[in-house]
Amino acid sequence: MSVTKQKAARAGSRRRQLSSRENLLLLLLAVPGIAWFVVFAYGPMAGLVVAFKAFNIRDGIFGSPWNGLANFRYFLMSGDAATIVFNTVFLNALFLGASLFAGLVLALMLNEIRGGPYRRFMQSAIFFPYFVSPIVISIMLQVILSGVGGRGGLVNNLLSIVDLPQVAWYTEPGAWPWILTIVKVWQLGGYTSVIFLAAITSISEEVYEAAALDGASRWRMALSITVPLLLPTFAVLVVLGVGRMFFGDFATIYAIVQDNGVLFPTTDVIDTYVFRSLRMIGDFGTTAAIGLFQSVVGFVFVAAAVLVQRRFQKESSIL
Amino acid sequence: MSAVEQDSAAPGAAMRAGAPPARKAARRRLEPFAAASYVTVTLFGLFCLVPLWMIVAGSLTDESVLGLNGYSLFPQPFSLRAYELLFTGQSLLNGYIASLFITVVGTILSISCTASIAWVIARRLPGISRPLTIFAYVPMLFNGGLVPFYLLVTQVLGLTNSWFAMILPLMLAPFLIFVTVSFFRQMPEEILDAARIDGAGELRIFFQIVLPLSKPILAVLGLFYAVTYWNEWFTGLLFLTDPDKFPLQLILQNLISNVTNAASLPSSAGAAMAPVYQLRFAMTVLTVAPILLAYPFAQRFFVKGITLGATKG
Repeated sequence: MSVTKQKAARAGSRRRQLSSRENLLLLLLAVPGIAWFVVFAYGPMAGLVVAFKAFNIRDGIFGSPWNGLANFRYFLMSGDAATIVFNTVFLNALFLGASLFAGLVLALMLNEIRGGPYRRFMQSAIFFPYFVSPIVISIMLQVILSGVGGRGGLVNNLLSIVDLPQVAWYTEPGAWPWILTIVKVWQLGGYTSVIFLAAITSISEEVYEAAALDGASRWRMALSITVPLLLPTFAVLVVLGVGRMFFGDFATIYAIVQDNGVLFPTTDVIDTYVFRSLRMIGDFGTTAAIGLFQSVVGFVFVAAAVLVQRRFQKESSIL
Repeated sequence: MSAVEQDSAAPGAAMRAGAPPARKAARRRLEPFAAASYVTVTLFGLFCLVPLWMIVAGSLTDESVLGLNGYSLFPQPFSLRAYELLFTGQSLLNGYIASLFITVVGTILSISCTASIAWVIARRLPGISRPLTIFAYVPMLFNGGLVPFYLLVTQVLGLTNSWFAMILPLMLAPFLIFVTVSFFRQMPEEILDAARIDGAGELRIFFQIVLPLSKPILAVLGLFYAVTYWNEWFTGLLFLTDPDKFPLQLILQNLISNVTNAASLPSSAGAAMAPVYQLRFAMTVLTVAPILLAYPFAQRFFVKGITLGATKG
């Protein structure tokens, strides 16, 4: 409250106080945005009551009878709960760790390459996958792993060159956490490196000059100067990632796995599970209950992440 | 401003001012780490581009080879048959019309709404801006989940089979609102004051002074939203059932689940004759093509957006 007052006071001293008519006019600008938030962000929150109801389309969201916690009990009893919660967190942890590591290494290495057409081209090339849609990624992956229409594929042909047996990847659930991790590195490695490179450019050149005078090699400088100075950025990205830990990467996973049940034991996350039970079973109540469970636990993660991030921001000037 | 500009400016400046010792030493002999960097970055670059190349090469390779190997690294024997079929058929045109409508209308709506709500937040109006910030921030922390959202769009708004079911849910990204707010707050107050002295009203100031001065951030917004809309397929999966209304991504989705669906792409050709594998590759190429073509021009804006977001978010 006191912060608000201070800010208002500061604004008042800097600029003429607006009349209430002008305030209203300005508020008019925000109306479409506010309307959108009410309908698409806050509306569904009210709709969460479905989680406590035996929902049927005829009676609608608010007319359907209440059934207490039955929906939650049903989900917890189904035996899928532990698997999908584990998969969600485990896959997200793999994705986060791998893409951050790849981004950091790429940024350090791109930094060694002298500016010019070659570097610009490489930077563009490794950033590009970020803009490729999940569906297109899925088609590329099929070509590489099984060939279009399931005839071999690049990886299997490479395996046969070195006399290893062919693998039917799409029936091999054990391999998929790692395959998906490679896909995420492909997709996010360049994107993450852009963030790190932005932080690297803010490091003063003088530090490196001093190190060079002391006879440090480029490797030494990367390890002892760049990496420590990137730690705050790294930490913030970790915190943001942990905040999203409970929300599965629906787009990538569903585009690739589709409804291939053989792979569910290792790839089914909360979001894909929710989507399937809505589309195939049409069980609105239970699905909404899972969604609410995810939102609440997710909120705890996000809120914790925001608090930790605030702390970091106070301590570091980079982010 | 952006990382890329700074990157490319730094070596030039260094050269003009007489290269600093570190760079001179590095230029004289290639250090092991620098050599390793060239090799690794090149390999990673190839790793990023090869899948894309396989799709392009596949789309230009004759069906007989694709049917045998399932992929192709060189377009041999070369064939344009899939493209000929796609360009004479109706499917591709329908897909492009849908994708373009969603992307263009969506991006325009998104930019207007994002910029205007961001300006109101950025003005620090007492009693308005702060509550509005919280109002826009809370949805980043908590959301209703899929089921209420699904019921909202299908039951309350009745948008099933409408392209707006793919536009409206994505219209505002809170993260981009805050990026825009931080850009607006850097706007020099003097310009606005000058306009006020000349008697311009608040709305006029926004439309005739602030927006024209904000072209860089509007470009960033436009590109981020446009890519999101172009690549969107989840809402289509949920809300579109009429194949004639499918955007490109959804047509591709149909090809993933069943490769022979490709036979339905060219409506004129007989299903038995259609080169289904090649068609699938060609369709993928045509879906990525607009992004691929815009990318060289748009890349620096994306970098700018990410940098703004990373340092201000």
